Amino acid sequence: MTKRVSRRDFLAAGAGIAGTSAMSLPLAAYAQATGGPRNNIVVRVDREFASLDPAFRRGPPEGNVMRSVFQHLMVPKANSVDHELEAAAEVKQVSPTTISFRLKPGQMFSDGFGEMTSDDVKFSFERIGLPPKDGGKVATYKADWIGLVGVEAKSKYEGLITLEKPRANIFDVVIADGSGCIVSRKAVEQRGDSFGTKPVGSGPYMVAEYDRQKGIVLRRNPGYAGGKKPRFDEISIRTITDDKTTELALRAGEVDFALLSPSAADPLRGVPGLTVTDQPSMAYVWLGMNMEKAPLSDLRVRHAIRLALDVDQMLLAGYNGKAPRLNTVVPPQVMGAWKEAPVYKRNVAEARSLMAAAGVKDLKVKLTVQNQQVYQNMALVAQALLAEIGITVQVDAQPAGTYFESGKGDVGKNLDLYISKFSGKHDPNFVLQWFMPKQIGEWNWSRFNSPEFEALYNTASSELDPAKRRLQIIDLQKLMDKSSAYVWLTNEASAIVTRSWLKPAAIPGWIDWQYSDFSAI
Amino acid sequence: MQSETLRYLGSRLVTTVLIVFGAMLLLFTLSSIVPGDPATALLGSQATPELSRQFIREMGLDQPLPIRLWRFFSNVLQGNLGTDVVTGRSVASMVVASIPYTIALTFSAIGLAVLLGIPMGIFAATHRGTLLDNILAFVSVSFFAIPGFVVAIFLLLIFAIWLDWLPVLGTSRAGDLGDELKRMILPTVALALSWIGFIARLVRTSMLEVMGENFIRTSRAYGLSERLITYKYALKNACIPTITILGLGIGRLLGGAVLIEIVFARPGLGRLIYGAISDRNYPVVQGAVLVIVVIFVLVNLMVDLSYSFIDPRIRHNSSGKGAAG
Repeated sequence: MTKRVSRRDFLAAGAGIAGTSAMSLPLAAYAQATGGPRNNIVVRVDREFASLDPAFRRGPPEGNVMRSVFQHLMVPKANSVDHELEAAAEVKQVSPTTISFRLKPGQMFSDGFGEMTSDDVKFSFERIGLPPKDGGKVATYKADWIGLVGVEAKSKYEGLITLEKPRANIFDVVIADGSGCIVSRKAVEQRGDSFGTKPVGSGPYMVAEYDRQKGIVLRRNPGYAGGKKPRFDEISIRTITDDKTTELALRAGEVDFALLSPSAADPLRGVPGLTVTDQPSMAYVWLGMNMEKAPLSDLRVRHAIRLALDVDQMLLAGYNGKAPRLNTVVPPQVMGAWKEAPVYKRNVAEARSLMAAAGVKDLKVKLTVQNQQVYQNMALVAQALLAEIGITVQVDAQPAGTYFESGKGDVGKNLDLYISKFSGKHDPNFVLQWFMPKQIGEWNWSRFNSPEFEALYNTASSELDPAKRRLQIIDLQKLMDKSSAYVWLTNEASAIVTRSWLKPAAIPGWIDWQYSDFSAI
Repeated sequence: MQSETLRYLGSRLVTTVLIVFGAMLLLFTLSSIVPGDPATALLGSQATPELSRQFIREMGLDQPLPIRLWRFFSNVLQGNLGTDVVTGRSVASMVVASIPYTIALTFSAIGLAVLLGIPMGIFAATHRGTLLDNILAFVSVSFFAIPGFVVAIFLLLIFAIWLDWLPVLGTSRAGDLGDELKRMILPTVALALSWIGFIARLVRTSMLEVMGENFIRTSRAYGLSERLITYKYALKNACIPTITILGLGIGRLLGGAVLIEIVFARPGLGRLIYGAISDRNYPVVQGAVLVIVVIFVLVNLMVDLSYSFIDPRIRHNSSGKGAAG
């Protein structure tokens, strides 16, 4: 039997669907209790998650999750740059180019993937540092393990890491960091690409839920055999891209921890139940000049520009005065920071005479910046300041996709001035690597081509004596200062907003969060 | 009659395929002229030349445009929307994960807009020129004029912060349907508000137009009640432009609710595409846009077909037998 749908039936059904759709929204009131310490917390991250596979991670948000899910041979202590052993019972620098390790027995991978062995360590490090086999994919962070010869599994728990040459930062930025995560060989081989969303580790937490857009839920790993005792049963890491939404979610008690810019955090200062703490970040922001393009190729012109700018005024415009001034590339909290670096004061008269001596007048340049308010504001101040010495600046604000191309390849040869920001780590070689000659056409946008810098950088990266290395790092900063191609602006500041009962933990620099060390006051 | 309907359906399906192909051709062309290296946008300082080459190869951007198009469509025909080069996940699985949120939000917003907008429009039309009609006109235009994301922020400030009735974040943990529905209220209202205003104005105008037609006068002459004339005859005819607009609206909201999704930190197709465009993650953009285009075209096809149920004159017209449409 068939039934014809009449117009009346159709309209009635349509109205029914519309009604049901709308009536499905319950009108119940909602109250969110914030209360005191709980066994679960919600943490905000500002971008969506990519892969949780250490070899193919994208940046700090994934790295922060991995720090809680995977074990390393050693890790930074909570809120510190000093290291402590994690999966290893012993890690020893046997020679300048070899490091031996011995694992603690009984470190179990989750999801039934068995006990961690030295073969897992070998697999984890070599899949990042060595060329991929059988046409596989190159690891995103391959450069971390540069100079790795190989890892030898000596016994079930013992192994030996061999490097081509000594590396001073091998523990700070590799073994105890994202590229030092120990994965289960069996799990990676079995899960393939899905390992990035269903990772298998042996750390204090397991990934209970992964949703690229919503975020990640970490749940306490019942099989964890390490020494840490995580305070929270569950940590929900929510992706909230918008700062205003984050502020409201913090007020409403739906988020317990977030990192905001100081100005975005301003409305939250003094809100009961929340604590806002300003911390200097590990990033470094500067105005750079293309040393290869005339007339910026003339040292006098570059020096004139440096003297015509007023860094404090630029910071006031960009950060509302809430970011500390930076006088050299290496942030103050990093080893080798040049504490006596010159603090350049604005001197228009001298800048004008330098321009005259260089025979340059009515100079027109483009200042390329990313189209974010903070950089655009600073660029506008620079524009006004440079006008006073006869330089006309055109501010070119670009979206991220094209901005990051501005200094690359042949396009980079035409760059004039730019404002840039890089994220740092607690290692001076990491901070300085982008200014090497081989980075010209990649990330060395000033085209700072100094063989002396390159030689000294290589010496410092292999120097295992911290005192000597410190002096070498300072000399590297002096060489950059001498070029006058850089006007250092700030290493920014971040506002950490938390429930007042929550004590976060991070490697100083406030990018690398140690979720498993978060605690309640 | 049936063969006419089938012929009509067949021609619309051919048009649908052509529209989908045209949209994808446009998208591929735009992708190839947009400046910016995908590897740099995706990986930042980790984008070494070696990795950049790998990413370009994986995205197929090293191939000429016709070959890329051919590969894309032949993969689509095999049910493969591509692979996200960042996570290694299939684009289809990412779309499948996002689309329930988008559909739920779109349909609840449209449902709410219909539920409030149509009565408002009828009321305004039947009380033309009165103070209430003027108030409704003011309210409707205000709803229509204020951007959704502005409404969203105000709704959050009032209902989530000041009154503390509803949550800020627009989505809950997996599996908690009750909480999910609660969290949909504010995004739904924010998205629906401009549509309420728009539908109210549209229904009012259509109703007034229909109420002036001959068949309404004839109905009055036959002594039918005003209520019957308004709700049975006039409203049915006035609904046609509204349904057309709803069809377009559903298509637009499927990919265009991105600001609401961002403000309420809610997953969805719009946000997926927005993030992928920012990152130059072309496989994700292409796969997700294809899905939206297909849904958009299918919804509008359904809308077109629904006319014939509502107004038989349209069916007659499409079969070439005359009458107004």
